[in-house]
Amino acid sequence: MTEKLENLKCYLFLFPGLIFLFLFTYIPIFWSVWLSFNRWNLLSPKPRFAGLENFIRLWNDEVFWIVMKNTFAFVTISIFPTMILALIFAILIDERMKGRVYYIYSLFYPTLIPMAAAAMLWVYIYSPNLGILNILLAKFGLPKLGWLGSSKTSLWALIIMTFWKNLGFFMLIYLSGLQNVNRELYEAAYIDGAGWWRRHIQITFPLIGPTSLFVLVVAIILTFRVFDQIQLMTEGGPGNSSNVIVYYIFENGFKFFDWGKANALTAILVVIMLTLTVLIFGIFGKRITYTSD
Amino acid sequence: MKRKIFFSVICALTIAFASSASAKVKIKFFYPVGVAGPLVKVMNGMVADFEKQNPDIDIEPVYAGNYNQTMQKVQTAVMGGNPPDVAVVEISELYSLLQMDALIPLDGYIQKEGGKAFLKDYFKGFLGNAYGRDGKMYGFPFQRSTPILYWNKDMFKAAAAKLKAVGLDPDRPPQTWDELVAYAKILTIRQGNQTKQYGLIIPGGWDDWIFEAFSRQNGSQLIKSDGLTVTFNTPENLEALKLWVKLMQELKVCPVLRPWNITPDDFIGGVTAMMYYSTGGMAKVRKTAKFNWGAAFQPKHKQYGTPVGGGDFHIFKGIPKKNQDAAWRFIKFMTSPQMAAHWSIESGYVSVNKKGYNLPKMKAFLKKFPQMKVARDQLKYAYPKMMAVNYQLIRNAMTTNLDAALEGQKTPEQALADAQKLMEKAIKGQ
Repeated sequence: MTEKLENLKCYLFLFPGLIFLFLFTYIPIFWSVWLSFNRWNLLSPKPRFAGLENFIRLWNDEVFWIVMKNTFAFVTISIFPTMILALIFAILIDERMKGRVYYIYSLFYPTLIPMAAAAMLWVYIYSPNLGILNILLAKFGLPKLGWLGSSKTSLWALIIMTFWKNLGFFMLIYLSGLQNVNRELYEAAYIDGAGWWRRHIQITFPLIGPTSLFVLVVAIILTFRVFDQIQLMTEGGPGNSSNVIVYYIFENGFKFFDWGKANALTAILVVIMLTLTVLIFGIFGKRITYTSD
Repeated sequence: MKRKIFFSVICALTIAFASSASAKVKIKFFYPVGVAGPLVKVMNGMVADFEKQNPDIDIEPVYAGNYNQTMQKVQTAVMGGNPPDVAVVEISELYSLLQMDALIPLDGYIQKEGGKAFLKDYFKGFLGNAYGRDGKMYGFPFQRSTPILYWNKDMFKAAAAKLKAVGLDPDRPPQTWDELVAYAKILTIRQGNQTKQYGLIIPGGWDDWIFEAFSRQNGSQLIKSDGLTVTFNTPENLEALKLWVKLMQELKVCPVLRPWNITPDDFIGGVTAMMYYSTGGMAKVRKTAKFNWGAAFQPKHKQYGTPVGGGDFHIFKGIPKKNQDAAWRFIKFMTSPQMAAHWSIESGYVSVNKKGYNLPKMKAFLKKFPQMKVARDQLKYAYPKMMAVNYQLIRNAMTTNLDAALEGQKTPEQALADAQKLMEKAIKGQ
C-alpha cells in the first residue's frame, strides 16, 4: 500500500514536467507526422490528406538524396576525430601537462562564443583571396581553395568549422569523466611498470566508457542538427553541396512554403534519430563497465 | 490615506500613459539589406527623421537580414496572423505574397495623391514590378537597382600597352560580350599556379539576376511577363551560359561562384579588374576604394539590356486601417525627392523619385561622382524583373543549376533543361 502511495507521489511530482513534455515535444511530433501525409503549400494553403504523396516526391527528389548523403558524411566524418582529439586533449590536461591553462582556454573558448559570431569569423578566414587560410596555403606553395564558394570544399569547410566549435565542449565532458577514474589504479599500474600508452589503453579507455557513450550520442545528435553555421555561411550552397537535412527542412518549410514536404522530412529525421539512439544503446550500452571500484 | 493617494496617482499615471500610447500609431517595418555596407544605420536615421516630422506615428524598424531571410520572416509572420504593417521585399516575390492574400492595393492612396500625375515623378522602369495580374498596384519602388559593370581604371592603365597591342582602348570599359572576353583575358595576371589578379568577377549568390541581364542582352528572357511561361531553356540563354562557362572554366579569367557579399571587397582589395554588381554596392566602393574606378553599362550582345532589381514597399492586409494609412504616409515620405536622393547618395541605389536628381545636394554629388549616373541612365534599357508565384523555389532551381554548370558538374545544356523542368513544376505547384 505505502509503495503504491510512493509511486503515486512520484507521478504527482513528475506531472508538471510531463505536461510540458507533451505540449512541446510529443504533440508537435505526432502533429508533424500527421502533416507529413498532407498536401500543404503556397498553392493549396489548407492542409489536405494526400497519403504518401510527400514521401514519393522525396523519393524522386534529386536534392533529397544529396542532402541525406551530405548529412551522413557530416556526421561520420566529424564525430570520430572530434571524440578522439577531445579525449587526447582531456588526458593531457588531466595529467597537468605544461601550458595546461593555455590549452584549456584556447580549446574551450570556441564553445563560449555565439555560433553567429563564430560563423562570421570563419567566413573571413575562408575568404578566397583575403582570408588567412588561403594566404597560409599560398605561403606554403599550395594551391588556394575555394572553401565556401566551391561545391568540392564547402561541406569540408563546414565540418572543419564545426569541429573547431565543438571540440572544447566534448573535451570538457571527457575531462569530468576522467576525474571519476580512481587514481589508485594508475599508481598500481605505474608500480607494475606499465607505460603511458598501456595505462591509458587498459585503464582509461575501458573506464571512460560511459562518458564515451554519452559523448557519442550527444555528438551524433548535435551534428545531425547542424543548422546555424549553414544558414550563416553557405545557405546550403553552392548548388546544394552543403545542404543537410535540417537545413532542407527549413528551406522547404520557410523558404518554399511546402509544409507537407518539410513535415515528411521531419518525420524521416525523427525515425533516423530514434533508430540510431536505440541502436547505439543496444550495442554499446550492455558492454560498458560502469564502475571503477 | 497614504495608500489611497498612492493608488490614485498610479491610476492617473496609467490612464495618462495608456491614452498617450493609443494616440500614437505603432508601425512595424521589416526591411532587408541586400548589398554590402552599413545601411542599417542610414535606415534608422531616415526612420528617426520621419518620426520627428510625424509625432503621431511610431515606427519600429526591424532589420530582417538579406532578401531571402526577409521574405521568410514576412511569410512566417503573415501565416502566423501577425503581419508587419509595412515591409520592403525583393520585387520578384510579389506574386507569392498575392497568392497568400497578404497585401492591400495602393491605388486608393495613389488616387488621393493625384493618380497618374503623382506616379509621373517615379521612374517608369521601376513601376513594372509593382502590379499584380489584376492590374492593381501592390508595390511601391524604394531601394532599386540594376546590375552594372564596375572597372578599375588604374588596372586598365597598367595594362595599357598590352591592351593597345590588340587594338583595345585602355581608357574605356568593354562594351560588347566579345570585348568583355578580350579585356578580361589581358587583365588577368597569373604567377605560377596562382591567379594574382582576375580580369572579371561575375559573383554567385545572385547569379540568376545577372544571368537575366545576359539573357536580355541576347534578346531572350527567363520567364515571360505573364509569370507563367518559362523560357529558361532557349538558344539565346544557352549562348549566355556558355560564355560564362568559358570565362570561368576554360579561360579562368573569372573565379567560380565568388560569394555575393565578398565580391565588392575583392574589387576594392584589387583582386579583380572588373565586377558585375548591384548599383546598391556603389557607396561602399566609393568610400573605400583607393584607386580610380568607373561604372559602366553592362556590355551588350544583340542589345543593351538589364532587369531592374531591388525591393519595393508593401502594405499588409489584416492590420487596422489607421496603421495602413500611417504606413502609406511613411512610404510617401521615404520616396519623397529628399529622402530618395539621400538614400541614393548613402547607398548607391537609384533615386526612385526623378525629382531627387534636381536637388542641389544631388547635383553636387553627381558632379563629384559621375559613376552614380550610370545606373539611372541604364534604365533606358531596363526591363521588369521576372515575377512568378513560388519564386523562392524557382530561384533555387535557377541558382543550383547555374552553379552546377559553372562548376563544370553539368553541361550548360543539361543545366538549362533541368532548371526549366523544375521551374515549370514550381509554377504549377507540383
